[in-house]
Amino acid sequence: MEPAVAIEGVQKRYGETVALAGLDLELAVGEIFTLIGPNGAGKTTLVRTLTGTVQPDAGRVSIGGAIPGAIDRERLGVLPQAFSPPGRLTGREIVAYYAGLYDDPLPVDDVLAAVGMAEDADRWYDHLSGGQQRRICVGTALVNDPDVLVLDEPTTGIDPAGAQQLWTLLRELGDGGTTILMTTHDMTEAGAISDRVGILADGSLVATGTPAALIGDYGGASRLVVDLRGDPSDHLPAEFPWDSHYEDGSLHVTDLPAERISAVLAELDDRGIEYTSVAWTEPTLRDVFLAVADWEDEQRRPTRSTVPEAS
Amino acid sequence: MSRFGAIFAEMTVAWRTFRRRRTAMMFTFIFPVLLVLIFGALIRTEPGEGGLFAEPAAYYLAGYLAVVVLFTPLSRISATTVRYREGNRFEKLASTPLTRSGWLFAHTVVTAVIVLISSLLILALIAALRIAPFPRAPAILPMIVLGVVLFAGIGAIIGRVAKTEDGAIAVANTIALPMLFLAETFVPPTMLPTWFLPIVAAMPLTYFTRGVRAAMENAGGWGGSFLVLAGLALLAFVLGALAIPEVE
Repeated sequence: MEPAVAIEGVQKRYGETVALAGLDLELAVGEIFTLIGPNGAGKTTLVRTLTGTVQPDAGRVSIGGAIPGAIDRERLGVLPQAFSPPGRLTGREIVAYYAGLYDDPLPVDDVLAAVGMAEDADRWYDHLSGGQQRRICVGTALVNDPDVLVLDEPTTGIDPAGAQQLWTLLRELGDGGTTILMTTHDMTEAGAISDRVGILADGSLVATGTPAALIGDYGGASRLVVDLRGDPSDHLPAEFPWDSHYEDGSLHVTDLPAERISAVLAELDDRGIEYTSVAWTEPTLRDVFLAVADWEDEQRRPTRSTVPEAS
Repeated sequence: MSRFGAIFAEMTVAWRTFRRRRTAMMFTFIFPVLLVLIFGALIRTEPGEGGLFAEPAAYYLAGYLAVVVLFTPLSRISATTVRYREGNRFEKLASTPLTRSGWLFAHTVVTAVIVLISSLLILALIAALRIAPFPRAPAILPMIVLGVVLFAGIGAIIGRVAKTEDGAIAVANTIALPMLFLAETFVPPTMLPTWFLPIVAAMPLTYFTRGVRAAMENAGGWGGSFLVLAGLALLAFVLGALAIPEVE
């Protein structure tokens, strides 16, 4: 089956700055793919390459088998970063305006309801909160019921409840066959809705996979931190039966399954060591991002300018 | 089909936002009224004595119309282009069926409607104040439209290069103000030194004022100016549409 989105060896430079350094990626129909990466990693350039507003220096991009310039624009939905629609309009008028640009748009009321703006749709856009404005903007990208949806930081400024609602909506769209490529700095969001996540650093896709696979490969171990009362370091024998160390008044145990927490606490009780709090954390995409981005930065620093010139 | 629908949607939103910018709307229509009143007072009632504003009152009708045909599209389109750039709206529109030429066409049509209303206001006011009779020259209408197309295209180019909305307005005024007085609007070419005449001929607005004046005087001969104006309008529109950026 033909991929919904295919990116092959795409390169883009802005002067001496390498924005995309030979990037390959394929998205299946109905897949939700999230790009994460530090500022300036090339996320927005990649999005613009896909939508045809930036021409790559080398490589090939296709959406549904067509190059961006030849794609049926009725089938593409885009929300640019820092987008702000025309002022002096209500939320409903803005969505209706973008609906009017297409042949067969969704009913405006349905779009407003989907982004959680049915009740406030008749307020002036300028009078809406930042999160409500962003929801209207997301609505403008959905209004043509696109096959491929490209969202550049769609939930910026939206409160957690509103973001959760949009995640549900995007998941439903993905389940319905809409292919979604989005960027975000919110690792919770990336982990919650993505089929796959890609980490972009210095214009290269340095890691891709399901959130669980990335966490398994790069996230590191789980951690238990037990804040101890007083300074009981003398009571902590070297043969403590877990991978652990004592630091700044806390016992740090790494790579400990959740079901073994009680065993650690029982061991402390047996040794008469008092503690004030216990925190156990699993690795998240944030850990993956920090690990991969840092590693990549270290690896790339000497060769950063060695990307071949575009032909 | 979608292309016309998209252009209509853009026209609708352009007209709606214009109507709701009350200050801009008020000054758009008060400006020509002030113009007529001020110049009406300056123009001498005894023509033929020489000096500035000494032509018959009807001579200046083309000048009044030139003011709105020049300033309204130049400032409106340049400022709108900058606003669209600042809001990443062109990047969004690049993913829709609306093309850059469709966008410029939609905003040009709305601007033409505004300029036609202003022009009607000017001519009606002049007739009401008995400064000059209401001209019965249908050829004025397409010339006003062509003038709007011409300066809308130039406005789009200004909007591409200006960094801010204020900057766009400043550039537009810098271009428009000298042109206004070097385009046979209020100063007859006979009052200018001969070395100035090539500059007058190089001003796009000159062909609007010449054409309108010839049409009003029922003198014929407006066809040449009309053709030059049409050619310049087409060129400016194409260059203006190409100047509209897809990304900031």
